[in-house]
Amino acid sequence: MNVATPSVLNIKELLSRVDNDHELVNELFFIFKSVFPSHLQRLSDAVANELPKQVEAESHTLKGMLLNLSAARAAALAADLENLGRQGEIAGMSDVLTGFQSEAQTLLLQMESVEFQS
Amino acid sequence: MKILIADDDPISRRLLEKTLQVAGYDVLAVPNGLAAAEQLCKQDGPRLALLDWEMPELDGPAVCREVRKKKDQGYVYMILLTSKGLKTDIVTGLGSGADDYLTKPFDSGELKARLRTGQRILHLEGRLVEARENMRFKATHDSLTSLFNRGVIMELLGREISRSRRERAPTAILLCDVDHFKNINDTHGHLIGDEVLQEAARRLLLSVRSYDYVGRYGGEEFLIILNNCDPVSAPRRAEEIRRSLSDTPVQTGAGPLLVTMSMGVHQTQNWGVRTVEELLHEVDSAMYAAKSAGRNRISFTKADISSDADHQPSTVPARSLR
Repeated sequence: MNVATPSVLNIKELLSRVDNDHELVNELFFIFKSVFPSHLQRLSDAVANELPKQVEAESHTLKGMLLNLSAARAAALAADLENLGRQGEIAGMSDVLTGFQSEAQTLLLQMESVEFQS
Repeated sequence: MKILIADDDPISRRLLEKTLQVAGYDVLAVPNGLAAAEQLCKQDGPRLALLDWEMPELDGPAVCREVRKKKDQGYVYMILLTSKGLKTDIVTGLGSGADDYLTKPFDSGELKARLRTGQRILHLEGRLVEARENMRFKATHDSLTSLFNRGVIMELLGREISRSRRERAPTAILLCDVDHFKNINDTHGHLIGDEVLQEAARRLLLSVRSYDYVGRYGGEEFLIILNNCDPVSAPRRAEEIRRSLSDTPVQTGAGPLLVTMSMGVHQTQNWGVRTVEELLHEVDSAMYAAKSAGRNRISFTKADISSDADHQPSTVPARSLR
């Protein structure tokens, strides 16, 4: 992988942040998988209904979660959506949302593959 | 140390909670700003807080403003967590009353270092408060006996008489003088005399209710104010106080000493127009009447028995009240 390209899930960075606590990483993944669908649904609804303030708020929340999980690529797309929402730019939101959804699916699959044995 | 974490993001909240628990903090985690403000405004609430900037209902800066409104509690050190990086945002955050800020996602080393800074500030504040309280105590209490000093007991007396006049509630003023105190000093030395005064003060304090006042009026004189003390109870209570000293010898470096005191008592709810000084003069006269009558006894001012017009003291031998 190109070092300049952020990975979907930087597990090394995440483990470093939690002092190599595998159990905590599993717990964080579990929390993310529990809350992510409802956040994504609200974000999709806000984009579909052209509600930039809600797009900004939801994508901000998702960005925070993804940064904490060292999921930089998805976090960057959430940040793009947040900026579009802040600037009230409806056009382009759908495309970024599609990219975000795709990235999130990849992320969820990676989470499944790296879950640690307790 | 107890620390509050307020973050609506469950991942961030759990990550902070675990990191700080491992670091030895007693963590209280809440999911919104309202709950955070409620906890931080409690008298015994956490003094250290990590607040997410963006939260529903009450955001981090709003929590800071709420907490800073409370003036009657210890300082709360608050750190805002933010993914906002603009200088204007930082200025807004610090302007709301936050002490510091940390950018998300946090680095655990930086987080712990900033929290240690907060703890140092809180520790320093604790020492300042302690120093202020010590100074306040020294300014209001007698250094030998730790009772209220003369200035404070006189002020309390003035306040209590005003209250008694206003509410027509009975109050008793007792002026106690340790008998033959000069002899104690001359025979055993001033250090033993100090021990006697300290023990007398301790027994006087133990023999009154928590809402009565006891102060050192002069060398071996103590002034006691008994709030809401009705005419029937006053002689009995005065006698209990007198006996608190005379019944058990005082243990001193020179061995046990039998110590007594003479007491002047004024008890009324009809204060007339007399000043505090005039009232004290009457109690003082009653106390000297007790001395003249043989010491180790109580003498009442005339006013508490009949009217304020006649101020001649009437002495009651100690045994008649037993």
